[in-house]
Amino acid sequence: MILSNALLLAAVTAASGGQDAQQRPWNIHVEHIYTGNGRNLTKGLVVVSGGRIAAITAGADEQSDRPEDTLRAYAITPGLIDAGVRITSWESVEQSREVTPEMRVADALDPFSLDWDRQVKSGVTTVLASPVDRNVIGGLSVVVKTAGPESIAERTVKADAVLRGSMGSDPSAGNHAAFGRPTDFYSRRPTTRMGVEWEWRNAFFNTALGLNEKDPGRATLVAALQGKMPVFIQAWTTQDIRTAVFLREEVESRPEFAGAGMNTPRFVIDAAAEAWKEPQLLARSHTPVILPPFPADGRTRDGAQMAWNVAKVMKDNGIPFALSSHGSDDVDQRLAIQAGYAMSGGITFDDALAAVTSTPAKLLGVDGRVGTLEVGKDADLVLWSGEPFQPGARVLATIVDGVLRYEGWSAVQGAAVER
Amino acid sequence: MLPILLAFVAAAIPAGNPLAIRAKTAWLPGGRVLENAVVIVNDGRIVSVGANADIPEGAEVLEHDGVLTAGMIALHGATGASGETSDSTRTAMPEARIGLAVDGRASNFEALRRAGITSIVVTPDASGVTSGTSAVVRTLDGVVLRDPAHLSLVFSTAALTPNREPTSRSGAIAMLNRLFEDAHGVVADARAGKLPCLFEVREREDVIRAIAFAREHKLRGALNGAWLSGEMADAILQSKLSVIVPPLQVGTSKRVLDAMARLSQDGISFGFGLDAPDNHADAMRLTAALCVRAGMNRQLAWQGLTENAAKIAGVEARTGRIERGLDADLCLWSGDPLDLGSRAVTLVVGGVLVDVKGAADTAKESH
Repeated sequence: MILSNALLLAAVTAASGGQDAQQRPWNIHVEHIYTGNGRNLTKGLVVVSGGRIAAITAGADEQSDRPEDTLRAYAITPGLIDAGVRITSWESVEQSREVTPEMRVADALDPFSLDWDRQVKSGVTTVLASPVDRNVIGGLSVVVKTAGPESIAERTVKADAVLRGSMGSDPSAGNHAAFGRPTDFYSRRPTTRMGVEWEWRNAFFNTALGLNEKDPGRATLVAALQGKMPVFIQAWTTQDIRTAVFLREEVESRPEFAGAGMNTPRFVIDAAAEAWKEPQLLARSHTPVILPPFPADGRTRDGAQMAWNVAKVMKDNGIPFALSSHGSDDVDQRLAIQAGYAMSGGITFDDALAAVTSTPAKLLGVDGRVGTLEVGKDADLVLWSGEPFQPGARVLATIVDGVLRYEGWSAVQGAAVER
Repeated sequence: MLPILLAFVAAAIPAGNPLAIRAKTAWLPGGRVLENAVVIVNDGRIVSVGANADIPEGAEVLEHDGVLTAGMIALHGATGASGETSDSTRTAMPEARIGLAVDGRASNFEALRRAGITSIVVTPDASGVTSGTSAVVRTLDGVVLRDPAHLSLVFSTAALTPNREPTSRSGAIAMLNRLFEDAHGVVADARAGKLPCLFEVREREDVIRAIAFAREHKLRGALNGAWLSGEMADAILQSKLSVIVPPLQVGTSKRVLDAMARLSQDGISFGFGLDAPDNHADAMRLTAALCVRAGMNRQLAWQGLTENAAKIAGVEARTGRIERGLDADLCLWSGDPLDLGSRAVTLVVGGVLVDVKGAADTAKESH
């Protein structure tokens, strides 16, 4: 049901987007409040003040509202959280070495990139931005808001949030053996999956045994092995998922790591397209996964096959899972659409919503600020024209930190944010 | 005097024999205008500035029915050091000094003189994270006024190459941080505030990173090369960094011109680059005129070509103003120099008279 129709107000006083956008109070009236933690309300009001959620009530009287502070929509959800975003491409990964844990992707992000706007327009308000997966251990990912000041530092929710790396074929792509062609920069390990895994193990063992004291990345590796910082490992295929889980179990069981107090790493498998083939392993090892976008033909990168019910299999096996765009900038691979696909694969709306809000917030360690609609949390909100994630529903407006950053009412008249 | 200079040096005034320039109008520091000005030059320096002043006995007198100004200072270029502005075998060479590579007799200095430019900051190429230090060079004779003048630090993608460290922006920042954490030599001088930095930027994101880096390491200096830097006027003003306006063209977008105009409106210290010899020497005055047309304060634009440029180059104690005690680096214009219909007629560099009008003719003949 689309509420609006014909109630467009001509005078729009709020600035949307741009440098002059201001935090201001909002009274948002909706048919449905989807909080992201399973507690949903109907005919509700969400009040925003000072950049935060000030109140959430059912059946509120709207007569006293100032019209210029009032927004109306069919539904409201928390701002979506995409744990797999790439804003900057090759400039984000330092390829002079294969293991660069100390590199900060925050140093490579462009606050002026148009990709931020595209995220905002599709309802995404917080992202984990990661280096492109061309290194075995690529560096430190950062959690940032998709809108705000023209400075990555000021938009950062959590700096150095995640250590990012990859299994599989991506890190070895471009490398070659030293024979048969001129020696160059890329005449180096790894050239195979096996070599990629060796680099991981080599970095971890060198850290536990104190063999890399002068390595600028050591402190990061120590934090990762002690579990102070999660390790997000890209692994599309079954064998890569198994390799990642076995690597963690090796760290947990070998005396070298226990002796150094570095035996409690936290792994999250990213781009786990074939997670549906290994649910028992993931459940047994308590390994959360991030799923890549659903492909039309079932075939993803690295030759992996992704089933439509992969989210359902995760849910049924108690494996925490988040959905992601995995850096895609295709309009048909946006996060909200992934949630719809996951529902068609068998999960409920609430589970799909959690997979794009509260679950990624927890995996990134930012659930104290974002991911659910709760009083006191950041006012990161998405207003929908219909049931979220359904093909007919559009994002009417996106609010980030209390600032109206996207207002889609002018795009298609008649189904609008009402004022 | 070197033979190559003889063709266009009208007169070298011997020491002790003063030169008196009597100009209809003189542009003095801070936008003051002096009518019927008399500027006395002796031993390479300005010894007095006044209206209708007496001319000393025995002085050579130069009557000028036009505008007398300080000579212009180009803040970014490679004249005299073409092909010598970076060493591609290293990504970071902070100790490389371009001042030692400049050929003071290079023929393309002549074009700068003809354009009314008396000094140029010769700068290392923006390749690698740092290609060394800049130097301020006089366009008449290659005399080095300041060396090192700035430490060049590159924040654009020009620092990146696909086949050596750094390949990434993250890697470039990490490399620069390492350089400053373990600072010695010119890097230590920069960190101690003794040597200004030249922040090579292109995109707006580069400007943000350069400002953050300058804040973190407490650096001062100038941002060079960002066409849209004026759109970040607030952040630049807060950083206290100067801006070097890159050469613009007829047809440069309104957005860029508006951004440049904001520099003067918001009180940012700025000057002009030239990137000679790749650009025509007149491109700098054209750039300033385009900025003025877009709304840049006219007086501040001129100061950006002269006295403020001297500050950014670190040579304000020697040149850039018509002021007693400073080097006699002057230009006599046929009219208002921000009017592109005007031209430089005579240049005075270090007290030496250079007939640039004649030089133009000579150049044409020898061509």
